[in-house]
Order: sequence, then structure tokens, then C-alpha cells
Amino acid sequence: MGLIKKLPVFAEKVPGGGIVTTSIEQVLNFAQAKSLWYLLFGTACCAIELMCTGASRYDFDRLGMIFRASPRQSDLIIVAGTITKKMAPRLRTLYDQMAEPRYVIAMGGCTIKGGPFYYDSYSVEKGIEHIIPVDIYIPGCPPRPESLLEGCLNLSKQIQKRKLGDWQEK
Amino acid sequence: MAELRTEEFQVNMGPHHPSTHGVCRLLLTLDGEKIIKVEPYIGYLHRAIEKICENRTYPMCIPILDRFEYVTAMSCNYVFSLAAERLAEIEVPERAEYLRVIMLELNRIASHMIFFGTTVMDIGALTPFLYALREREMIMDLFEMTCGQRLTYNYIRIGGVSRDIPKEFIPKCRETIKTIDEKIEEYKRLLNGNPIWKARTIGIGKLSPELAIAYGASGPILRASGVEYDLRRDDPYSIYDRFDYKIPTYQNGDVYDRYMVRLDEMQESCKIVAQALDGLPEGDIRAKVKPNFKPPEGEVYTRIENSRGEMGVHLISDGTNKPFRLKARGGSFAHLQLLPEISKGCLIADLVAIFASFDVILPEVDR
Amino acid sequence: MTKEELKSYLESNYPELTYSESGKYDLLFIVEAQKLVKTCEKLRDDVKLQFNYLGNISGVDTTENYLTVYQIASISNKLRLDIKVILPHDNPSINSVQSVWPAANWYEREIWELYGIEIHNHDNLTRFLLPDDWDQGHPMRKDWDAPDFIRFPQK
Repeated sequence: MGLIKKLPVFAEKVPGGGIVTTSIEQVLNFAQAKSLWYLLFGTACCAIELMCTGASRYDFDRLGMIFRASPRQSDLIIVAGTITKKMAPRLRTLYDQMAEPRYVIAMGGCTIKGGPFYYDSYSVEKGIEHIIPVDIYIPGCPPRPESLLEGCLNLSKQIQKRKLGDWQEK
Repeated sequence: MAELRTEEFQVNMGPHHPSTHGVCRLLLTLDGEKIIKVEPYIGYLHRAIEKICENRTYPMCIPILDRFEYVTAMSCNYVFSLAAERLAEIEVPERAEYLRVIMLELNRIASHMIFFGTTVMDIGALTPFLYALREREMIMDLFEMTCGQRLTYNYIRIGGVSRDIPKEFIPKCRETIKTIDEKIEEYKRLLNGNPIWKARTIGIGKLSPELAIAYGASGPILRASGVEYDLRRDDPYSIYDRFDYKIPTYQNGDVYDRYMVRLDEMQESCKIVAQALDGLPEGDIRAKVKPNFKPPEGEVYTRIENSRGEMGVHLISDGTNKPFRLKARGGSFAHLQLLPEISKGCLIADLVAIFASFDVILPEVDR
Repeated sequence: MTKEELKSYLESNYPELTYSESGKYDLLFIVEAQKLVKTCEKLRDDVKLQFNYLGNISGVDTTENYLTVYQIASISNKLRLDIKVILPHDNPSINSVQSVWPAANWYEREIWELYGIEIHNHDNLTRFLLPDDWDQGHPMRKDWDAPDFIRFPQK
């Protein structure tokens, strides 16, 4: 019975049997929120912090987050680093190749509004929100691994509140 | 059996590919698995750092240049400060010089840790990546202690450093370099005898010293090809002449030697840090520099030994408080240019190994 | 060879090089654009100098002229030298030094792309830093401007 106690609050226990009744929505949300596989998409400085977050000390795996090199297998794209005008169409392509439901984390100042390259730069996209829709913004230049972890946890909370019909709207 | 007919075809590797370490696109012309031609296409991270610096005052350029080569941001800080100091003929206090050397060498170790982890991961072993980043975190702690940042430090300023180290830095630093020195021996034990690792690296991507020099290769890549050339000794800057260290040089110029040079270099860096900690004098950490810093007219090209080879800044001053022209030169730019030359005829899997062994990082190429 | 020795050696043996005061740390010499490639070849093949290593080429827009500055070094003799070429502001063009140092390839491509300086005898003069569909000119020029280019606000 220990396992049943660990299940989230939505589960209704049927007395005397190994059966749990719940809604499809909650099961799907629970499964996805706890296994966000992210696309390894690092362009600049934030990619190093993303790497550190994935490695020994901060350990992304304990959130069920595993990196994937292919957009087809990922639920989440963490845009880590500056997006230039030359890179923007590629980012859009990658996003389009991901399967629904998909999520976007904008990591670092550059992806929010161009960061330190807002002024005087002729080649940097000033923010990615007009290329792809963003769910979570993480400020910092680069953000610390802790803030990236918090962003991911927040996304995970958002996903658990999601309704089944929301998928098509986005 | 009749001979099979083969056809050339082209494959795009990148701009988003896990083993290009960033956003570099390689257009491969292949015959089966064999590479006939490689054409690198860069510019996916061209952020116009040089243009931005033309419209910033000298102290404001340093944080921008942090992003020029973020894995060793201390070197970027340093090479720019050195250029400005040479223009304005500023004397840097002793203590600041020692602190700079400590930071530069710690940063070199941190950068080579990234090299070690990612290269070995690209070739197929995941565990060393976790080991290397574990040790790198110890250095990140030291940096956080001194300047509050993990990656982009803005620590070395024109005329000195921004702040002094805290009291607990020295014992912690000694402990760190001692641990790292031991761990590198462990890495060597882990990999150097591994037959798979050896088969994937020995004799792959051979680079002759003549070709390396002609294409402007520098740093570990040049030294792995048997050319003993280190700017710390051969174009001296700072106080490197006071320390006792070796310049690791290997003869074959293949992937394995490039990896060995870097591992040995980390151990030499540990030695330099230990000596610098012993000799650290008391005193000022910053020369008197006006906030509105205006160097006299002139131009200077400074170059230092970075973990990726020669890092240089060409600075032209017109007497105002902004640089008239700043050109940043990174080692990777020259090395990526070399890639098509030495990867002809090898397999795609070997190309990944060669690319990783160059330790190319794309912001340095694109700027 | 010290800096002073190198300076006097170059002044006596290379009449095409003119010493410039503006170089602050390393020696800076000016050469005419037509004589550039020949001089570079001579510097590389000179047994006493052996400038076999090209570190960097920078393009500069001074608003009156264009400059290209070649930062070269000798690995065996441990020497450093800068060579500057002054080009006119209208239709600047220069010969490629690729035949002397193959490393010049990408540096010259960059100068061609960002400054619009024509490079003769270059084998691969194609766009590489800017987007493929870029049509806004040469952004590193001092007078360059574009609609979405935001200058840093001045006090």
C-alpha cells in the first residue's frame, strides 16, 4: 500500500483491490509533468549552464528530465543562448518538428529581449517570443542552474493544471 | 560479384547537432561513410560583438567581451585589459598580477574540463563527462567566492582586478587543485588503457606541423603536432616568467595527442596556481585608473595563451573614451578553417572525434 | 632578435616598409597595397625572420580610408610584427595573401563581407557570417545604418 500513498491526490483508492480510478487527463498530465524530455538546443553561454544543470551536482535526471538530440522525441525545448537572425528560421523548424503537446523555456536575457546584445547589434533577434510561443522565461545572463531548475518545476506545475482540450488551442 | 556502384551525396550536419558544440553547420559530401569534402558554414552565432564595443566605453566593453569566449571568460577580460594597459602604459600592482594568474589558470582548467567531458562523450563514453563537470563545479565555487558569477566574471579590470579574494579562498583553492591533480591521474587511468578509446583516437585526424603553422593553428593543437610554442613563454606577458612549469608537447598530432596535451596542461596549471598562491604578496589590487578611462591615440595587438590557442585583441584608440576599433581573435576561428583539410577521406564518426578534439567553440568563431 | 634589432633590420633591408609611430607595443609598418603580397612572401622566406604564422587580419574603417592590418609572427624566431595597408575610401580593393599564408582565407572573407573591401585572387569569396538573404550592405562600416538598428543611448 505504500505505493498507493505516494500517488498524487487525484487517485481514488478502491478498497480491497489493486485498482485506482482516475481521469485520463490527470494520468497524462502526471506522466508528462514528471518526464519532460528536453531538446538539447544550446547556442551560447547558457548552454554551458544547461550542461552543468544536466551533470553531476544539479542533476536534471531526478526531475525525470533527460536530454534528447532529436526534436521528434522531445516535449520541451530549452532555448539556451542568443538567437541570431540567421538562426531564427532553424529554431522555428525545430519547434515545428516537435510533437504536441510541446513547451518552450526561454533561458537567459538574450532569448527574452536580446539581453546585452539589444543595442548596437545588427544580427541578434530581439527576443524569441515572435518566433515561437514561450511558456516560461528565466532571466539572468546566464541564469544559475538553480533558477533553471525552478523554471522547470514551474513548468511541471503548469502542466499538471492543464485541461485535455488545451492541446489543440496552442 | 559485380562491383557495387556508389554515388556521392550531401548531408547537412548542423546547425543544430549535439556534437558540433554549438551552432555550426558542416556540409558533408560523402561517398558511403567516407568523407570527400567538408564545408563549414558559420555565422549562426554572429552577435556583432565588435560593432557593439565600438559604441561602449572601455570598462563597459569587458562584460560584452565576457560573452566572446564564455568558457574562459577570464582570458577575455584579461586580454582586453592588457591591451588597454599597454596603450595607456599602466603599471599593474603585484598582488593583482598574482590574482590574475591564479584566475587565468583556474579558468584554463575549467575549460579543459569541458573539453575532456564533451570530447569523451562525443566519442561514446558518458561517465567521464559527469566526472569532469563534478570537478569543474569546485572551480566554479572558487569563482563565485571571488566575483559572484559562475560563467561571465567581469573580474579582471583595466589596471587590476575588481575585488580582493576572501580569506577562505586560499585554503579552498589549495584543496581544489590538489583534488584536481589527483583526479586527472584517475582520468588517465580510466581512459588511456581503454582499447575502444585508443582505437577511436590514435592515428585519427593527423595534423602535420607545417600545415598547422600555415593555417594559423595555435595552443594545444599546435603543441600536439610537435611544435613547442606557448605564448606564456614565447611572447611573455604578466608574471609567467616567475613560475616553473613545463610545456607539454606531443609528436603525432592526432586526436589522442591533442587530448593528452590538454590533460597534461591541466596538471601544469595546477602547479602554477600552487606557486602563485605561495608567492601571493600583500598590497593594492588595482592601479589608479580614472573612471572615464581615455587611453592615448595608438593601436596595439595583444595576444595571450588561452585554452583554445592564441586569443588576441586588436585595439585602436582615437583618444576618446570608446575604442575606435576592436577586433577579437579566437583560436577556434583558425582551427575550424583547418577542419576541411584534415578530415578528407575519414569516416563521419571520425569527423566527430576530430571536431571535438579541436575544442571549437562557436562564439569565438562567429563573435 | 630584440624589437630594436628587428626595427633596424627591417628599415635597412625592406625599403618598401615604412615605420609607423602609432603601433604602441609591437612594431607597426606600412606598406603600399601593390607591394603587399611580394613583401609578405619576402618576410616569410627571409631566413633571419621566418614570419610563417599569420595571427589575424583586421579591417578598419577610419571614415577617410580603409585599413587592413596583418598581425604576423614567427614561431621559430619568436618575433611579432604588424603590417598595415591603407586603402582609399572609394572602391577599396586589395590582393589576397592566401598564397603566402593559407590561414588568410577566412579573415579575408570576413573583411570582404563586413567592410566591403574587394579581395583579388581569393578562391572562395562567399557570404558566411551574415544571413544568406542579407541585403543591407556592410554593417561594420562606420556610416552603416538600418531601420531596426538601435544605437546605445548616449547621456
